[in-house]
Amino acid sequence: MAKHSSGMARVGGKDSKDLPKFSRDICERLLADLERAKRPVLYATKCSLDNSIYNHKVGFLTAGEKKVATELNVSSVKKMSRAIFLLEVMLRNLETGGVNTKRELYYIAKGEVKHNAAMKALDFTDQDESDGVIDFICELLECYREDFNVYANDRGGQTYSQNLIVTETLVDGDTAVIDLSRLGTTPFQPKNRPQNLKLSTKKKLDFCLIVESEGTANTLVANGFTKRHNSVLIGAAGVPSNAVRGWCKLIQDQLDVPLYFFGDLDAYTMQNIFRTLKAGSAASLIRNQDYSAPDVKFLGVLPEDIAKYQLPDYAVKESDAQEGRALKKAHDALKNDPFFHDKKNKGLTEILNWLIKNKRRCEQQAFFSVNPRDPLMPEKIIVEKIKRGNFV
Amino acid sequence: MTGAVCFGLDLHMAKSNAVKTAAAKEPAAPRASKANLKISTSSTAEYFSKNLQQVGFSSQVKAVLTTLKEAVDNSLDACEEHGILPEIEIWVEKMGAGSLKNSDKIRVRVSDNGPGIDPEDVPKVFGEYLASSKFGRGRCSRGQQGIGISAATTWAQLTNASGARVTTKTKAMRKAFSALVEVDIKNNKGVLKEKETLDWDRSNGTNVEFIIDGRIQLNGEAGILNYLTGTVLVNPHLTLHHNLPCGASEDGGGRALERISIPRVTDTMPEIPEATEPHLHTMKLGEFIAHSHLYGRVKVDAWLKRGFSRVNEGTIKDLIATGLKRNFFDKNVDQLNEVEFKDLYTKIQNTTLIAPSTKSVLMIGEEALAKSIQRVGKVDFFSVVSRKPTICDFKPVEVEIAIARLLDRAGENDAPIQVLRFANRVPLQFDKAACAVTQAIQTVNWRAYGLGQPKESLPLGPYIMAVSIVSPFIKFKNASKETIDASDELVEEIRRTLIQAGQRLSKYIKKELRANDLEEKLRYIEQFGPILVDGLCRITNASDDRKKKAQDGLMKILGRDADAAETALAEAEKKLGHGSETVENASEIESRDGEDVDPISVDEIEADSKSKSKSKKKLSAKSAPAPKKLPVAKKLADVKKPKIIVSKGK
Repeated sequence: MAKHSSGMARVGGKDSKDLPKFSRDICERLLADLERAKRPVLYATKCSLDNSIYNHKVGFLTAGEKKVATELNVSSVKKMSRAIFLLEVMLRNLETGGVNTKRELYYIAKGEVKHNAAMKALDFTDQDESDGVIDFICELLECYREDFNVYANDRGGQTYSQNLIVTETLVDGDTAVIDLSRLGTTPFQPKNRPQNLKLSTKKKLDFCLIVESEGTANTLVANGFTKRHNSVLIGAAGVPSNAVRGWCKLIQDQLDVPLYFFGDLDAYTMQNIFRTLKAGSAASLIRNQDYSAPDVKFLGVLPEDIAKYQLPDYAVKESDAQEGRALKKAHDALKNDPFFHDKKNKGLTEILNWLIKNKRRCEQQAFFSVNPRDPLMPEKIIVEKIKRGNFV
Repeated sequence: MTGAVCFGLDLHMAKSNAVKTAAAKEPAAPRASKANLKISTSSTAEYFSKNLQQVGFSSQVKAVLTTLKEAVDNSLDACEEHGILPEIEIWVEKMGAGSLKNSDKIRVRVSDNGPGIDPEDVPKVFGEYLASSKFGRGRCSRGQQGIGISAATTWAQLTNASGARVTTKTKAMRKAFSALVEVDIKNNKGVLKEKETLDWDRSNGTNVEFIIDGRIQLNGEAGILNYLTGTVLVNPHLTLHHNLPCGASEDGGGRALERISIPRVTDTMPEIPEATEPHLHTMKLGEFIAHSHLYGRVKVDAWLKRGFSRVNEGTIKDLIATGLKRNFFDKNVDQLNEVEFKDLYTKIQNTTLIAPSTKSVLMIGEEALAKSIQRVGKVDFFSVVSRKPTICDFKPVEVEIAIARLLDRAGENDAPIQVLRFANRVPLQFDKAACAVTQAIQTVNWRAYGLGQPKESLPLGPYIMAVSIVSPFIKFKNASKETIDASDELVEEIRRTLIQAGQRLSKYIKKELRANDLEEKLRYIEQFGPILVDGLCRITNASDDRKKKAQDGLMKILGRDADAAETALAEAEKKLGHGSETVENASEIESRDGEDVDPISVDEIEADSKSKSKSKKKLSAKSAPAPKKLPVAKKLADVKKPKIIVSKGK
């Protein structure tokens, strides 16, 4: 695999520089087929769990051999026309150096249609439609949408550290150096373009802690966590966004520091949040390589913590739509998700089994109940767990 | 009017001809006179004259409709009894202000080509309550008790001091007989006034005219037009001429009459099944004892075998096995005392008997219903299901259903469907919610068949759903026969029939959706093909020559697809109907056996092993072409022609 300019390996060996050529090659092939009245076919990687492979040596979910073939016919002509239309818009983005979110691209596409009556049939009625076409193009070209300068909103990943320095290469080639220790209580917000960031430390870090709840991360920092511990502390804010996933991957690769995830003990956290952070997701098989941190460990809450610290826990209400759905998804994960089938993840699988069997859940904030008069108690427990190796 | 159908005084009811009323139900005042405490006896006519709301005269609108309905029912029953294809003409018009507050003076006239009535029977038919030739006979006639037409005469008498004007002639009479019939309310007798004989322009028939207080409502569920639509639908052999007020006025007051003729669609008379003897398990002890009085001095053995259905030597042996002695059956039935009757009755109830025969049930028939539904409006598509008679609540019942999509209501996708309910081929127009038919419709998941349906409600759409229940013993909730009692077994039987009709409907709707899908794909080819080529050429900077070549190539590829889509569309349309047979041409109806059935519904239906063996017939038809021009496949424009498919032998 080729190395990305930022140092990350890339699937398919393409980067932004290759994309215009690669896109034109595909279009050329389609046109040549049409000239010969031959039915053109496009092949895209199938991004679904049934085409996911997990190998602990690789560390993230990768795509299998399955491809989705889209042959030009009356059923696919609309989809293919829209793909070529949006590809043209995205290539123009690359040429002009334009940067957009998916929402903005949706409106750009609508604007194109608005000013050209011949394209009226291509109009998108909502963003889901244009998002689907963008994903299709990326699966077709085996590239990231970020390669086309199309980014999601920066969300989650607020980062605190007294020792981390981030050097960002800007679009115009300038660099910006951010010393996180000088930001006070203001967090550093990781960007959707981790490849533009370079990390260094004032001194060797002991660990990186990723907290599921952004609020709890803020509390720990406010109580002086990063002052007392030579660490990086990140608030994930729920299911990690691409920015958070890429950011954690960057920290793992560039700082060579142990990563721990601290979150709720429930099926949703284990299967949706932690698995995505550690190994990526089935929907983003082609990008998991740069958007997952396989070294991250599950610090807790662990099932044994409930008894050990006498944490308040709750019964999972199957009647509750959300909790019932999470439980059902956990069943599905145990059955179909290759990540939980791998023997290296046996500990995580056991936690999932425990959750299904006991139908209990415990929130990360439960550590605040251990000694309600000591605001530092959660911090003490977290550090003690790291020291004792009490994680999975 | 009614031939000899409504005059045979029923022995059962002879005793109940008098209704006892306690004149002093309230606690007697200490100084009350003796007369106040005396228990008086009222005649049946007196009872009904004070309770006409119980038999359909509860409002001004209902009074007009009930009068019309009773007269038409009697005409139809009389014609069918005598094998005459009915031709009925009706007039309903406003004559001025009525005597009651906020009422109009309405003339309701019904004239038929029936057998006519002997003059001596006229007062019984029109002026005597419970004088019926049909009560308890176990036949599927419209009228049963002999109340309705007498109630109409009473209403005319009470509101306009004048009864029913009847003119009638049988074939045996040289001249027609005409008289004014009134009800002697005190004695429950019909009285003839203004008798005369006259020349008439027909060999036989009856004409009856009522002048009553009421209000004319033409439209809506309770409207006269709805009643006539329903009557026409379930009586394919009926030719109806109606003279109703025309013009913008909803109540038709003072407007000229417009004559509309609806010819019959079949010359085949419905087969009137023979009445069957009562079934022992459907009788109560009192009825059982009363039934014995009809037979006089006969042996118990003979009485049971002849007087009841499903009793044979085997039954007698079973009864002996329960402890009755053989010589008990050799006794004369009039010698049995009450204890012996009770003992016999109890033992019979504990003995297994074959279920009552379903032979007594009259069917409209699928073909007749299929033709008749064409008369309710511009029908786009319909589905007819006629289930074999079955036993519900130990009584024979037959359910027939017709569902039609109406072209003239195409915009009413969000409105509930129109439900037409029928009991023994009489439209039911009031108290819909409590009726077994409505409840059964609401229990079916119509969404599975492609219709919209709010939770536990009637489905939505431009459909008309006609549900006909035929049985010699329909259980009504009230004397005015407006609502069928929703017993679990009957609701289930109706539900099963609805499911079958729904399956048929669903096949059509799904095919229609598929056809629409294909049409859309064809449109896509025109829209997206050139855009695709333009986009590719812009990205690759291709020359105009290449562009032209690619466009030609694309059209070749998609042209092949278009041909395939056209073929598929034509096939889908073909499956909706066969060839170009029109619904009017009944002789060209094509049979198609072994049609596949929706598996979900099959499960539901097969749950009852009994129903499995039942023969079911379905008809469906498509009429009134609605051709659509397609952008590419213009030759598809002629695919939507009126068609009919008949499937038989389930």
